Amino acid sequence: MRGVQLSLSKTQKLRLETALEKLESLSSTTSNNSNASVIVADTIPINYEDGVLKGHGTSEMDGRVVATICGVVERVNKLVYVRALRARYKPEIGDIIVGRVIEVAPKRWRLEINFSQDAVLMLSSMNLPDGIQRRRTALDELNMRSIFEENDIVCAEVRGFQHDGSLYLQARSQKYRKLDRGQLLRISPYLVKRRKQHFHHLDQYGVDLILGCNGFIWVGEHVEAKDDMVVDQMIKSEQENASLSGSVSSREQEQSHTSVEIRQHICRIANAVRVLSTLGFMVTVELITELVDLSISHNLDIHEMLGAEFYVIVAEKEAERRSLATKKR
Amino acid sequence: MRCITCVTEKEVLYGKRVLLWLQRILVLYFSLPLSLMLRSLQIGLQSMQVHQQPCHIVYTDYRPTPLQHYFFPSGGNGLYLVVDEKGKFRENSFQKALNALVPPGEGDKKRENGKWQKGLFVGKAGEDSDIFKMVKMIIQRQYDPVICFSFSKRECEFLAMQMAKMDLNNEDEKVNIETIFWSAMDMLSEDDKKLPQVSNMLPLLKRGIGVHHSGLLPILKEVIEILFQEGLIKCLFATETFSIGLNMPAKTVVFTNVRKFDGDKFRWISSGEYIQMSGRAGRRGIDERGICILMVDEKLEPSTAKLMVKGSADSLNSAFHLSYNMLLNQIRSEDGDPVNLLRNSFYQFQVDRAIPDLVKQAKSLEEERDSIILEEEDSLENYYSLLQQFKSLKKDVRDIVLSPKYCLPFLQPGRLVSIQLIKVDDNLPSFSVKDDVTLGVIINFERIKGLSEDDTNKKPEDASYTVDILTRCAVHKDEAGKRTISIVPLKDPGEPAVVSLPISQIDSLSSVRLVIPKDLLPVEARENTLKKVSEVLSRFAKDGLPQLDPEDDMKVQSSSYRKAVRRIEALENLFEKHEIAKSPLIEQKLKLLHTKKQLTAKIKSIKRTMRSSTALAFKDELKARKRVLRRLGYVTSDDVVELKGKVACEISSADELTLTELMFNGVLKDIKVEEMVSLLSCFVWQEKLQDAQKPRDELELLFTQLQDTARRVAKVQLECKVQIDVENFVSSFRPDIMEAVFAWAKGSKFYEIMEITQVFEGSLIRAIRRLEEVLQQLIQAAKSIGETELEAKFEDAVIKIKRDIVFAASLYL
Repeated sequence: MRGVQLSLSKTQKLRLETALEKLESLSSTTSNNSNASVIVADTIPINYEDGVLKGHGTSEMDGRVVATICGVVERVNKLVYVRALRARYKPEIGDIIVGRVIEVAPKRWRLEINFSQDAVLMLSSMNLPDGIQRRRTALDELNMRSIFEENDIVCAEVRGFQHDGSLYLQARSQKYRKLDRGQLLRISPYLVKRRKQHFHHLDQYGVDLILGCNGFIWVGEHVEAKDDMVVDQMIKSEQENASLSGSVSSREQEQSHTSVEIRQHICRIANAVRVLSTLGFMVTVELITELVDLSISHNLDIHEMLGAEFYVIVAEKEAERRSLATKKR
Repeated sequence: MRCITCVTEKEVLYGKRVLLWLQRILVLYFSLPLSLMLRSLQIGLQSMQVHQQPCHIVYTDYRPTPLQHYFFPSGGNGLYLVVDEKGKFRENSFQKALNALVPPGEGDKKRENGKWQKGLFVGKAGEDSDIFKMVKMIIQRQYDPVICFSFSKRECEFLAMQMAKMDLNNEDEKVNIETIFWSAMDMLSEDDKKLPQVSNMLPLLKRGIGVHHSGLLPILKEVIEILFQEGLIKCLFATETFSIGLNMPAKTVVFTNVRKFDGDKFRWISSGEYIQMSGRAGRRGIDERGICILMVDEKLEPSTAKLMVKGSADSLNSAFHLSYNMLLNQIRSEDGDPVNLLRNSFYQFQVDRAIPDLVKQAKSLEEERDSIILEEEDSLENYYSLLQQFKSLKKDVRDIVLSPKYCLPFLQPGRLVSIQLIKVDDNLPSFSVKDDVTLGVIINFERIKGLSEDDTNKKPEDASYTVDILTRCAVHKDEAGKRTISIVPLKDPGEPAVVSLPISQIDSLSSVRLVIPKDLLPVEARENTLKKVSEVLSRFAKDGLPQLDPEDDMKVQSSSYRKAVRRIEALENLFEKHEIAKSPLIEQKLKLLHTKKQLTAKIKSIKRTMRSSTALAFKDELKARKRVLRRLGYVTSDDVVELKGKVACEISSADELTLTELMFNGVLKDIKVEEMVSLLSCFVWQEKLQDAQKPRDELELLFTQLQDTARRVAKVQLECKVQIDVENFVSSFRPDIMEAVFAWAKGSKFYEIMEITQVFEGSLIRAIRRLEEVLQQLIQAAKSIGETELEAKFEDAVIKIKRDIVFAASLYL
């Protein structure tokens, strides 16, 4: 909630405060003491065990284990490490990320992904548009801009780290593609929890939602993932048809047109994400759809979702939900 | 692999490699045209199904150089052509070969204790050994170069040593060999050149004799391969590995054994192995035909030989199995779905392909069943079940009465007993109320000697007994000279013989005893005794042979006996009343009903297998393994890989779970680098060494820590219903080379560490190379958890072990 600028009326302020207090009390009861939070230079107690493994965010000083970042101490068997709060994104192999192309370099694109370095997507580690497996030629290299240009939004998967610590991506699947006709939202990466699924197709709205682990979230019109070969043939046959009837432009227009309805859905979902991130709640599909439903049931317009009243309602709802959950436990 | 338009694979699908290639084909999840050169068409079909892509399969049985197969009987003097180049099996020369087999003398009893291959070497004192004679003959007939395959490394070396007297090369060739040899050895350090294996090898090579097996130093192996290709080695002793993956044909191939030890027993070489090894015979374009000689040292049936020599390639069976590493890597990526991987696996494919067959089987069986129509089926069925009950009760009674406790005192010689007749040819049970019995005279009885010594502790009542009974038998002799004896009724023709039968085959004991002659050896004596038996029988013809009464005579006091007897009586009454019993043809009808019942049971079992195979073949195992991962905290309940899982992801060359647990328990943290390397060696060493010395105390301590961890991991797996044998798993970690690896990491010379252990040089080198691989993976793992000290330690370890002969570059590069 820090740094949120909301013009709240007095009653709204009061309601929000009580809701937040309630949330805080709930979280303090659930969290146990071993997950003590530390700041830089705090000593982490290790109970004189030997063979302690010091993981990320720790260092040894005069025989004591010391935290080097602010965060929460986590222990796995004898491994002690500090999980940072509100840090930059720290990639892990297999993560789904959304990034923006900042440079087209020889045989590779550089992507900004909110990491301490730019990520590299090699031309050889992505599928070519013609869908054929082959060696990348110089011609392909010249045509790289026809795949991704600067400022394009791309989703990809973290493939691994080089020895120098630079990050390599891969996009060998139909679902890793250039993203268009939608909105990109940037939130704190800690709000996106790693799950099995990061690609979501919200059927009822015709919208694709990609929760990038790096805190970049994509909300866009749904694109049917098709086999390249099939698409090729379809386009070919379409072109043949078009050349016969001479109505290329209208077809293309239809393909690139997004209906108003879907645009509204996109905005609504994007606003839901914004609300969640400003309130500091985890961003998950379930919560997003819940919020969208909530806004519709309250008969709120899209822009009203960012109004103070909705924030308060969401906070209260969440407090209620969590207290129910703890009671059940 | 990623940028290819067409994948061509040679017949790579052999042994363990199958797994690797299958995974690779599977993971190629793009659309590629594949051309595969395979032994098995099935794989091609599967690839088509998985990739939905055309798959060109090159398949041929044709050999450009035809093969001739000879037999060399051990102790004999010549070769016998068994299969000629047209593929015809010559029956008569096969028999001749077997007849030439020198029967094993009394001297080498060892052969019977499983160590029978010794017989091959021993030969007769003063004479040359078989293999020597054989090679001499081959050289005389100019059948060289020759590869002699044997199935163990030690045997290989031993055979080569027997060739000591032979010299197959001229002076020029000797000089050549020496130059090649030393130029290759040049890359070794001075110390390593003095290794016994290196220095012993040269004199042998110079005489044109080579040895090739996995225990050799890699560099020696490569030198020998090169020399062989150059034709400088005329006679090579190799293990099976030489036949796989290397394209090094010779004119002649010799099998020094027809049996191979496959882990638990000596078995015949399979036809697939035979094809692979005999495939080395005959160089294309040089030889007109390949010669393949099988050294036979025991009798074998023509059918076995035919199967071995002329059989088809082994059918390819999937050895696919789940590993935790694979599972974790699948879970980690968003696309990855282990279930999907399994669905596309070759194993699943094979199972799926079996289904239509099963359906067909079930259908035909059902038809057959329905074609059997019976009148009055209900009452017949009733009768059938009564009969079954009656039989089982009778059996119960007999079991009680004939339990050794009661019947032993009555098994005196001379007592007449009735014996059940067991029909060998058809297993249809008889359906009359009366059993088929015949009479015999007890001669003796004795306890069966069990294998264990415990027998002596058992009470006489509990042991099992056989009874020697004189009765009428039909004796058949088959070609092999084995006698099969079957008991026939007294009236039938046959010779009187004494057979030993288990007690359970005795139907009942009579109260009559005969005086039997002391000497039963002459046939007449036995014939006379049997005559007496029939006499007795005719005397008692009116009211049957008097039986020993269980309760009065034999003192059987048991309530269950009495109960059973009462029920039998009741059932007998029922039989008499049963209307259908009087109908004619009852026997046939019952038989029909029986077949029908059997068919129904068969259909049921087929349907059950069908049901289980439609479910995913590995589904249960997948579930169990996922449970293990969750229990150990590698993945969360909603399939997100945790920190520990990430570490295990990196480790693919050793047991990932045990190693990860070991690491997270801090075991690797506080020990010295050398100790750590030596501990890790337990993960990569798989051979079993019989009398390996124990490592020193510090290492021993570490090893017990490893065993504890392994045991814990295994127990968790067992609890999660993964099928695993805990102790087996724990003992799969071998401490045998710990000392040697410790010394190596300390900086010892290779010849020094070879003095510490008895393992083969090549095996040790392979282990250390694998160890380095594991260490590289551990570096990645340490990096991923951010433990820099440990990472530095692993890197240090790599530097320490990666030196000299162990990591000498290959000659082929």
